[in-house]
Amino acid sequence: MTPEFHREIGIPRVAAIEYPYGRPVGQVDDAAGQRQVLLQTLSFLEKAGNPGQIFHLPFTWPEEAKHTKWQPPEISPIIKLYLDEIKKMSAAAKRSK
Amino acid sequence: MQNTGKVVNGFVFMPPSLGAWIGKDIPAQPFSGNIPWTPLKKPISETTFTLMTSAGISMKTDPPFDVEREKIEPAWGDPSSRQIPASATEKDIDVNHLHINTDYIKQDINVMLPLKRFKEFEKEGQIGRLAPNCYSYYGFQPDPTELLTRTMPHVADQMQAENVEAVLLTPA
Repeated sequence: MTPEFHREIGIPRVAAIEYPYGRPVGQVDDAAGQRQVLLQTLSFLEKAGNPGQIFHLPFTWPEEAKHTKWQPPEISPIIKLYLDEIKKMSAAAKRSK
Repeated sequence: MQNTGKVVNGFVFMPPSLGAWIGKDIPAQPFSGNIPWTPLKKPISETTFTLMTSAGISMKTDPPFDVEREKIEPAWGDPSSRQIPASATEKDIDVNHLHINTDYIKQDINVMLPLKRFKEFEKEGQIGRLAPNCYSYYGFQPDPTELLTRTMPHVADQMQAENVEAVLLTPA
């Protein structure tokens, strides 16, 4: 999901996928799509030969990111607590683009 | 291992400010510490799997993950775990997680914990077998001490008791 965390903690094997949070295996009731994701993940598991390898799964989510509705219905308590700080990061995010 | 050419951006679904805030603590350099490593001992088709997710899934018959305390203590996350029988379906589970939309998991557990898919793989001979029990914990852990020192050793014991040889972890 977020392979960037690998740089912080070191994960033995990562099959990274660009799918929304809460649905890393695929869409609701899409058995065929879920199977593709899992079979490629298993194939990677079998071939990974040393610690720290990341395999980037080739799948693309069929909706635009802003339409994926992955966020909880209410802002989480930790985000609420740091909301002002997070808003200030908006400028930094724009600068990094 | 051939890679596919795609490079996954883990922040693509986040509002840019939230991504920048979370990403500010991630080092720019590759991880340089020791990474735990257990080689796969057999082909996948002979390997016993279990599944584990950080999505806060619990059986309706068990206590839910404690999100009420987190609402009062925003820097605390429930450090416990739950066993989820491999036969569980959406009807059997509850999902409590304050950082994602849990509706999709309640509609189809396999989007997060692919029990049905792994039972299919077992029948088809793609994997050796799926162990009788799978697991869930709560992924928001600002201080993971209790999770790592008390909860996970117990989970590892439960996995070993069922001869688990590989774990697929699906982060929420």
